[in-house]
Amino acid sequence: MTAPRASGYFRIRYDDDIALVRTRTQRVWLGVLALALAGFPFLANSVLLDLANQVLLVSIGAVALMLLTGFAGQISLGHAGLLAVGAFTTGILFKELAAPFWITLPASAVAGALVGLVFGLPSLRLRGLYLAVSTLALHFMVLHAGQEYETRRGLSSGVVIDPPSLFGFALQDGRAWYVVLLAASTATVLLSLNLLRTKTGRSWRAIHGREAVAEAMGIQVPVAKLSAFIVSCTLTSAAGCLAAYYRGFVSAEAFPLFVTIQYVATVIIGGIGSLLGALLGTLFVVLFPQAIEASMNALGLTDRLSSMIFAINQAAFGVAMILFLVFEPQGLVGIWRRIQAWFLLWPFGQKPLGRP
Amino acid sequence: MQLAVNVAVLAAIYALISCGYVLIYRVSRVLSLAHGELMMLGAYGLAVTASLFVGHPLIAIGSAALLSVLVGVLVYVLLMRRMTGESVLAAVLTTIALGILLRGGMVLAFGTQTQYPLQQLGWINASLPVGPSARISAAGLLLVLATALVYAGLFAFLRMTRWGIRMRAAGQNPLLAAQRGIRLHGVYALAWGLATFSGGIAGMLLACDAGVEATLATIGLKAFPAALVGGLDSLAGALIGSLVIAFVEVALISYVDPLLSDVVPFFVLLAMLVVRPWGLFGTREELDRV
Amino acid sequence: MKKILSAALVAFAGTQAVPASAQDAYTVGVSAAMTGPGAGIYAPVVEAMRIYIDHVNSRGGVNGKQVRLVVLDDGAEPSRAAANAKKLTQDNVLMLVNSSLSSTYAPMVAESKRANIPLYFAGSVCPKETYPPADPLQFCSSAFGANLDSQGALAFVKAQAKEPVRIGFEAMAIPISRAEIDYAEALSKTMGMTPVEKQISPPPAPDYTPYASKLKDANPNWVYSWAPWVAQVRTFEALRRLGWSGRYITWAHLNAEEELARIKDGEFYVIGTNALFQDDLPIQAEIRALTHRAKLTYPTSYLTEGFIAGKVIESALKATAWPATPQKLLASMNNLKVDLQGLRGGPLEWTPDNHFRTRQHYRVWRWDTTKNAIVRVQDWQAIEVKRP
Repeated sequence: MTAPRASGYFRIRYDDDIALVRTRTQRVWLGVLALALAGFPFLANSVLLDLANQVLLVSIGAVALMLLTGFAGQISLGHAGLLAVGAFTTGILFKELAAPFWITLPASAVAGALVGLVFGLPSLRLRGLYLAVSTLALHFMVLHAGQEYETRRGLSSGVVIDPPSLFGFALQDGRAWYVVLLAASTATVLLSLNLLRTKTGRSWRAIHGREAVAEAMGIQVPVAKLSAFIVSCTLTSAAGCLAAYYRGFVSAEAFPLFVTIQYVATVIIGGIGSLLGALLGTLFVVLFPQAIEASMNALGLTDRLSSMIFAINQAAFGVAMILFLVFEPQGLVGIWRRIQAWFLLWPFGQKPLGRP
Repeated sequence: MQLAVNVAVLAAIYALISCGYVLIYRVSRVLSLAHGELMMLGAYGLAVTASLFVGHPLIAIGSAALLSVLVGVLVYVLLMRRMTGESVLAAVLTTIALGILLRGGMVLAFGTQTQYPLQQLGWINASLPVGPSARISAAGLLLVLATALVYAGLFAFLRMTRWGIRMRAAGQNPLLAAQRGIRLHGVYALAWGLATFSGGIAGMLLACDAGVEATLATIGLKAFPAALVGGLDSLAGALIGSLVIAFVEVALISYVDPLLSDVVPFFVLLAMLVVRPWGLFGTREELDRV
Repeated sequence: MKKILSAALVAFAGTQAVPASAQDAYTVGVSAAMTGPGAGIYAPVVEAMRIYIDHVNSRGGVNGKQVRLVVLDDGAEPSRAAANAKKLTQDNVLMLVNSSLSSTYAPMVAESKRANIPLYFAGSVCPKETYPPADPLQFCSSAFGANLDSQGALAFVKAQAKEPVRIGFEAMAIPISRAEIDYAEALSKTMGMTPVEKQISPPPAPDYTPYASKLKDANPNWVYSWAPWVAQVRTFEALRRLGWSGRYITWAHLNAEEELARIKDGEFYVIGTNALFQDDLPIQAEIRALTHRAKLTYPTSYLTEGFIAGKVIESALKATAWPATPQKLLASMNNLKVDLQGLRGGPLEWTPDNHFRTRQHYRVWRWDTTKNAIVRVQDWQAIEVKRP
């Protein structure tokens, strides 16, 4: 969904059309956001900082998945497998070769690209459901390989990784991680925005719409599909590498199917076809369990039910997903756009388009 | 000979579970990834009724089966009905979300201990001889019998009864079927009820063999390659697919490496998807619309 | 809606405030798999620990102060365990306790190192860093002893066997079980036994018969299994159904006492380090009374491990003078001797070099079909735990 605009907004040059920041209002709000993000680590306590770091980390993977599923329309249920590829590449390189950060990160990205190519090959023959199932099968195979590595090397509780050192400066502090993750997340978002503005992004949107028509227009459909997979998987693998360093260890049990479902939930709950949706979805999925726990604390139920928190979280997450899927198919972005439209059109509150 | 018996029992497990996947997909083109959890719900249902109707095992089993059907119909009426017309991804995700909800809910309701319904029913899982050198457990034999009965019943139902023909019609062309006066919602609800019933039977028999605990639901995912290899909209395919996958697994365990038995079914699935995506007996289709 | 909003606001405000009660009590933080896979093994440990600590508190606490146990559920997920560990160190706990799957160890170890507080594994499999030479911050009291269990079991087999031993092995496809069985296989060869077959079953196996068939075909007269209980017992049941009549020895998990009574097979042996409740020790009567009052859902026989953990925590805190700091606690844990009143074969002793225990004692039980009860086949046999 595109943002609603007030009247009087005209674009008279091509540059205006493809610019990232178009109106003065946008510039102002962007400045406010930048200030808030910059000032956050100085004001937050370490629990909030940890949460923010998690949000930033998950956002990289979420944006990558949004590119693949939301924009290019290729359903992928193998996301956790890609994260595992990045994490295991990092772990293996660290364990076997004591490789430093500036080698493992590119190596993870390259590994991700290669695996992405493999994950993308079925997409040339399959669509929709069957593609999803093939990515699921690949996910299990990646995890199996990871487990085999762990067992053969006798690392029954996973590979422990030292904190990375960036320019001789060890990354252990929450604030240091915040800076790095913020930079990574911003880079990912900018990269995605740029990709979407170019021929590649447009070809993705085209194959999402109607493949046959895209082909008729001269777009190389296999190239577009594979490029979507490769780009998305590279980003995801890099996110996996960062996640491995952030957690300090790698183990196959850290990437169950539930992780994939959480990422897909960020895409769906956020709203398909919008990077803002990926970010909003990330905020929701990461903060939702905290909200559940906080409300349980406030209602005084913690003592009796603290042993059941995980199950309650799961059940509540399932309910939330179902509610979004049934009642709000356009996701959080849809809600946000409706709010924007309401303010913009006030006092002429009309029913927004797109709902019966 | 023992090999054949093992294959038969494993194939029966997969076939009973796949039958649920196939029924729902064939009739409404929705892939229900909540099937494993629904199967576990059936098993817990048996544990509950067995402890309620102590001393009347047949009543316990019967009521557990009825409960499964009811749960399936409810799932459709309360949830899946609202997802008709939405994209494939949304419908599949709804079933995934339902599965997550059920998993969390079952842990909250039943705790994390393993329960043994067989003990509560008062029966023993005896070992029976098959031929001169093989043996089968009573639960295994029941699984094979149940699979045969369920499949035979479904074949007869789909071919000879009115509602069965309506289901087939709705699966082939929903628009035309609706215009002919077939109540689609009723057909879909029935499909969900039958699918949950067969899954519940599988769950109950597995529970009699091994006890009910929270990891039973992952077996649902293991049966998935069987359904796909045979063809997601073909019951005969589900049967054959289950036999193929079970054979591959047992052969690997016996002759190669037991570790591979976990991941090779997915290899087979992938190979099948690349070579022939609609499975052995499925119908060629557009492959991406609900 | 308003209630949720206000709850969220209150909770948010709450995260900013420092809990007042923490200052007056010894605070211990626990991250456990209360739900999720394996919860059946770890949740009872934590529940029993909780009941014991409540009991201690009701009698006046330790050194006159109450003990506050903060339990967080991690569902056996490493990322949740990491989050829990961070939250607990926020709360200024004196030590971290882990009772969860081995995948949660690394994040908790990292956090305990960062905050420099001891990490105690209660009920979860002891990592090799707790064996001598021990990592300074990691401690363990769990019954499982990597390699030691196999040594104990195979020693028993050798003592019992009247003919040459053909031994089969069963593991679950998780690294820890496979590593142990690989070790046992190698060990059996040095003890003059013939390992004939080793089967590894994946965690969610719908049917254990194929694995059991392969085992049976190799014709072992003994089979040893060290894995989560479900793999151990289902392989055994499948073997019996196939008509195998050999002897099966396996690790006694929390539910061993109950399961022996359910299975009722005379050649099914369990080896373990914790006394069974049929021994009717005075401490066990106490446990029964406490759990009855607390109305726990777990059978009493599951709770020995948790009570041992509770006793260990109590003893460690007793030797930590008030005001307590993690450093003082660490010093007391480095020289700990806990009298377990018969729950194990001997007292639990920790030294600066050995954070596991100085001696591991094993008993072996089986079900006697004539007496219709569990009989003890071997009394406490000690194995010294030394540097490799």
